[in-house]
Formats: sequence, C-alpha cells, structure tokens
Amino acid sequence: MEKLLAARLHAVKVRPYLAGALFALHVVEDRSVPTMAVDAHWRCYVSSGFVARTPVEELAGVWVHEVSHLLRDHHGRGERYAREYGERGPGERLRRNIAADFEINDDIYGDGLPLPAGAVLPSLLRLPDGLLMEEYLRRASMSGLAAEVAWLDCGSGADGQHRSWELGPDGAHGLSKQQRDAVRFRVAEGIKGRPGDAPEGWRRWADEAFHPSQPWRQLLGAAVRSAVSASGPGEDHSYRRPSRRSAAVPGVLLPSLRRTPPRVCVVIDTSRSVSDAELGSALLEVAAISRSVGGRRDLVSVISCDAAAGVAVPLCRAESIELVGGGGTDLRSGFARALRSRPRPDVIVALTDGQTPWPSAQPSCRTVVGLFPRPASAADEQNPEYAPDAPPPWARVVTIG
Amino acid sequence: MTSSTLLPGTDTQLVVAEDLLDLLRTTTTELRPDEQLEALTLAVAADLPVLLWGEPGIGKTAALTQLAASLNLPLKTVIASVHEPTDFSGLPIVGDDPTVQGVPMAPPQWAVELVRAGKGLLFLDELSTATPAVQAALLRVVLERRVGALQLPPGVRIVAAANPRASAADGWELSPPLANRFVHLYWVHDREVVVRGLGGIWPRAELPRLVPERLAEAVAYARRAVCGFLEARPTLIHRLPSTETRRGGAWPSPRSWEAALTLLAFGTAASASREVLALLVRGAVGDGPGLELLAHLDRMELPDPESLLADPASAELPERGDLRQAALEAVVAAVGARPRRARWEAAWAVLVRALETGAPDLLVAPATALAALRRDDWEVPEALDRLAGVIGLVRLADQSVGRVAAAADAGRTTGAPR
Repeated sequence: MEKLLAARLHAVKVRPYLAGALFALHVVEDRSVPTMAVDAHWRCYVSSGFVARTPVEELAGVWVHEVSHLLRDHHGRGERYAREYGERGPGERLRRNIAADFEINDDIYGDGLPLPAGAVLPSLLRLPDGLLMEEYLRRASMSGLAAEVAWLDCGSGADGQHRSWELGPDGAHGLSKQQRDAVRFRVAEGIKGRPGDAPEGWRRWADEAFHPSQPWRQLLGAAVRSAVSASGPGEDHSYRRPSRRSAAVPGVLLPSLRRTPPRVCVVIDTSRSVSDAELGSALLEVAAISRSVGGRRDLVSVISCDAAAGVAVPLCRAESIELVGGGGTDLRSGFARALRSRPRPDVIVALTDGQTPWPSAQPSCRTVVGLFPRPASAADEQNPEYAPDAPPPWARVVTIG
Repeated sequence: MTSSTLLPGTDTQLVVAEDLLDLLRTTTTELRPDEQLEALTLAVAADLPVLLWGEPGIGKTAALTQLAASLNLPLKTVIASVHEPTDFSGLPIVGDDPTVQGVPMAPPQWAVELVRAGKGLLFLDELSTATPAVQAALLRVVLERRVGALQLPPGVRIVAAANPRASAADGWELSPPLANRFVHLYWVHDREVVVRGLGGIWPRAELPRLVPERLAEAVAYARRAVCGFLEARPTLIHRLPSTETRRGGAWPSPRSWEAALTLLAFGTAASASREVLALLVRGAVGDGPGLELLAHLDRMELPDPESLLADPASAELPERGDLRQAALEAVVAAVGARPRRARWEAAWAVLVRALETGAPDLLVAPATALAALRRDDWEVPEALDRLAGVIGLVRLADQSVGRVAAAADAGRTTGAPR
C-alpha cells in the first residue's frame, strides 16, 4: 500500500494538473484483479501482487494511465461505440480496451513517467500516434494483438463492461455522475488555466471535454440558415397581397408575410493554401443549405478571390466552377466585389483559411465565415512576427474540417 | 350487396381490434427514481419555463402527460412550428367602431381555454423548427405570459420541446435571448426503462415534495451559495455565448442566475439529490458555470476549518480524497491567516487525525505548507512523530522521480532510444 501511494505522489509531482483526479480515486485491494483496474464510479482496484513486483516509477505511470481512462470517459464512449456499431462480446471488450490504451499511451508517457513494461502502443499495429479511441477501433482489427495482451484489463472504466470484482453503482465510495463530471471539469479547467504545464494531448482533451466539437456541416448550416432567415433579408411583411386572414376581419387590411428568396454570395479564398477538396465540399454544402431554405440555385453566386477578386458566377451556370487564383489572399476585394454586384446579396459566405486581411467595417449584409483551420506554424517564414488577424467579431465563424 | 354484408363483419372486427388495443394499453407502473423527471417537476413547480431537448420519439410528450396528470393540470399542446407569429401576438378583430374602440388583438382558442381553466401546462412542441419570427413572438408568451391582449394566469406553467440541431434536418436554431429564458433539460431514454415499459411496466417517479419547514432555510442557502460564488467569480455573471457550438443553449446572465438561485432553493426545500440540482443548475446557466457553482457548493459543505482547529481529536473529514485534501488545505490556510502557536499545533493534530482515518499521501501538500508556517520559537510538536510514515512516502516518491530523471539523462548522453 505504501508503495502504491508513493507512486501516486510521484504521479502528482510530475503531472500536477491531474492531482485532483488522482486523489479522487478510491483504492480497493482485490486479489482477483490482474493488475490495476478502474470502474466507472472512480474506484481503483489493485492487486497487491502486481504492486509488489512493479517498481514505483512504473506504478506512477499506471496510475496516470488508469485515471486517463476515467478522465477521457472511455467507458461512456466505448458504450456509445458499441451501441452504434452493434459490436459486443468479450473480443470486442478487449478491442475497445486496447484502442483506449492506444489513445492514452501515445501521449502520457515520457517527461518523468517511464512507459510501464507491457504497455501497448499504436506502433505495434503500425498505426499513427495521436488518434482517438474511435479512430483506432475503426482502423484496425487488433485480432492479431489480442492473443498477446489477453491479460490486459483496465476494468469497466476503460470499456464499460462490468467485471466480477467490481462493486457496481451501489457500492461504497463511488462517485456519482455529477461528482465525476465535477472532477473532470476541475482538471480540465486547471489545464486550461495553466496551459504551459500540460502537453498537447491533454490540452486538446481539456478544450473538448465539455464542449465536444460538432460536425462543421451542421454548424455551417445553422449559421447560414440563421443569417438567411433572420428577419430583414428574405422575409418581411408586405401589403402587396393581403393576408389570408383578411377575409375573417372585413374592413381591416392585414399585411401578409412574404418571402423573397435569399441571395447568397460565396466568396472563396483560392489562394494556394486552401485545397480543392476542402473548397469543393464546403461549396456544395452552402449551395445545399441555401436551396433548403427556399433559395433558388441561380441566386447563389460564387466569387473566387486571391489577391484580386474574380467575377461573380451564378452557381447554376457553373456546374464545375473553375477556381482561378493561387497567390496570396486579400479577401477585402472579394467582399467589395460581392457588395457591388446587383442585385445585392443578402448574405455573404466567405470560405477561407483566415490568412487574409479583413474588411475594416462591417459589410451591409450578414456574414458567415467558414474557416479552414491552419496550424499556427504556417506563419510567414520571412517575418516570424506576422500573425494573421482573427475573423472580425461581426461575422459568424464556423471552423470547417 | 357487398357493403351491407361487409359492414357487420367490419363492425365485429373493429370491436375485436378494440379489445386487442385495450389489452396492449393495459400496463402497470412501478416506482422508479427518475432524475430527469424530478428535475422537470422542480423547474415546473418553480414556475420557470423549461425546454426539453431530445431526439424525436424519445418520450418527451409522454413525460409531459405523466407530469400533467400527477400535478392535476390540464395539458395544452401547441406545435409552435405550424403557427404564425400572429397566433402568439393576437389576431386583430374589428369591433363596432374601430376609431373609438380600437382594434383589439384576440387571443387564439388554446389561450382562452387556459385562462378559463385558471391553471394548466402549456406545452410548446417543436420549438426549434419554428421560424425566427414565431420565436420572437414566443418571447413574450414565455417571458411575460401574454398572448395578445390576454394574460395567462399564474397557475399556468410553460414547457417547450426542441430537437437538437444534429437531428433537426432543417431546423432553425434558438436565438440567444429566447434560449436564456429557459431551463434546458436534455432528455435521454434509459434502455432498461424502455424495455421494461414495452414489456408492460412503465416507471412512475416519486415527485419531489416541498417541505414547508425547510423553506426559509432553503432560500438562505441558495442566496448564500449563488451570491458567494458570483462574488468570487464576477466574470461569470454575464457571458454571451461566443462560439458557434454553444449558441442556442443555456448561458449565464443575471436572469439565468436568478433562475439558478430559484432552482437551488426549490431543490433544497424538496431535499432533491445533488444529481437533480446539477441537472437544473447546468440547465439554467450552462455547463461550465453550472459545474463551477456545484464545485462551490462542494466547498461550502467542507467542514469549517475553525471548528476543525477547535476540536482536532474528533474532526470529521470528508471521505473523498480530493475533498479531504481541500479541507486540510483550508485548515492550513486558516492558520496562515492568523498564525498563533496554539493554532499551528492544532493544525498538526488535524493532520494526524487525517492520517488515522485515510490515505497518507493526501497529507503531503498540506503538511509541507504547514511546516513552512513555523516560527523560530515554535517547537516541533510531538504529534509530528506520527507523520513519519508520510515523510517516508515522500522519500520513496522523490527517489522514484530521481531515478526516472537519471535514466532520462543517461539515455540522452548515450543516445539510447527513450
């Protein structure tokens, strides 16, 4: 027991941001556990034999490994995956455990934590590092590996399947769902508060722990839809045709709600930093959305824009729009061109990687920016001080991809 | 004639079908704790508009029917997406002399019926597929409880339902002002409940009861919690959602904090579990601020450091490791704030007590901090001997950290792979 707790201190010392989670775990000694395992209620089951034959520094790594299963909600995610793909059974359980271990092991070791003997790494299956559990599950069969690591068992905290030694939801010292969320939240906030201390993988986890990223298609759709449909453009009360309710109230002239189909102008950044595949899918998406809100295809026009803006091309005449350009970007000319076109667009959708100057004033119509994310290292080599401006606050920004 | 020969046959067939349907509809209920239903009931009791988010066909309407029946309220369902803005703002009616009497805005039938009943549950379904103009008109119904010229009586409670963006194929999203007026509850189905329900046994939740004797205490507790928290975190008082993913959900504003305060008071008066409180608070002010408020509640429940110092021998420390450490750190901080020799020694006694009742590695950080508070003329208390095991633990951990660092150094100098 002393050795185990010394290992926890070691882990807290080299990973201070995980201290709250490590101390929240309740230790249960049990002979039937193969090594160390956690359940979904934040109990940590330990075999005393395993502790006796493992050095303290390796035990510290196991502590961090087990708490990572819980922090990253592998049991919940594993169950969701199993529901979605209908894959159950003991083989599947092991597969999920291995995939979860891959997700953890490729980024928690090193820097004061040695890799414990027998830890599985994605390189065993020639898989790249840095993927999520679900991606590992989709990519690899893991059937060859299963025989070698059949002893491996991190408990229901890793895959959501109940084990014989576990105390279950009614046992003592378990954390309720709310308490688990609170612990995870505090760890995430701690990492976000002092981002310098934590490696990339943990920072990414902290950012997404409580706000998982949503598919960009839905976000872009919602942004375009609300821009197109907000009262103002597209829809207004009109006296040109009386309301159908006028028949019920003789003597009163009621306006009816008329819709004029929204005009959408898509400004596309065709500088070489944006790939054709990215652009193609985003453009199709915008066209589909504007059709679904009652727009006609000929009301969607496209302007390709690098340093200078091209001509607005109606989408109906350009089944495969030739995207010209390739140099640097200046989206300001694209915006100016879009606003000059007659009739004026109700909404401008700019698809860009953001490496561009932005208009200084808010354009006179609603703006949605579809942003292709670029790593920060893509900055100008000649001028390391250069950082592209973030999209202006008046635009609704959706990160694509 | 075919029709006359068929009719009696169809008739009996329909009667048989009716019997079969009766059999299918005969189900029993069992008592089963249901946190989301409990949360919904409390929010409805607190007269805050509730928005149920859930996939279509998940049983939101069924839950509402059960709630209305158990609260003895008539249920009025209005599908928001098939109405026009004027259905919520009132329809103009011409009287005898419009120039003298004006044109009154007549409310729709459902509103009149609710007013006549004096109480009821107004269920606005499909809110997220209502157009922005309808949503704007609904703002007034939800906030001011006015439909046209008609004021809904205080006995009317409002619940809305919406499909999450992922499943609403061509839905509109909720505007932030409308979203801020609701308590957002995410409705999920429990596999076990569904299977048992289809087998004929549906769950029946025990509805929370407000205890009259606890009302004053509940209000005081809720006020202390929310005010104390917002004093410490003033930036959370108002934070408009900025990112695309959080729009249309719960977000903190003075209005939603007031809702959170009300819900806390109702939850406390009904002795609701922390789980239910969490659903409600997170639904009112959003996940992040809600979780922080709950963490604040946790800290409020930690034993008072002064009373621990006053009687270390019988100190009751929290069972959970991270909370226990927080309580011990609070004790050390209290000594640091008013350093006296007697208090310093009492703090050591608290640590010894913690050692006797729980894991020793939690003591390392508080003990180090407490040792640093020592003044030159203070002698090391006898109790410290009993913490020797902790020091041994620290030594073990330090050695192990040192070994890893040395191995890493050696690896670097020899160029061996790490």
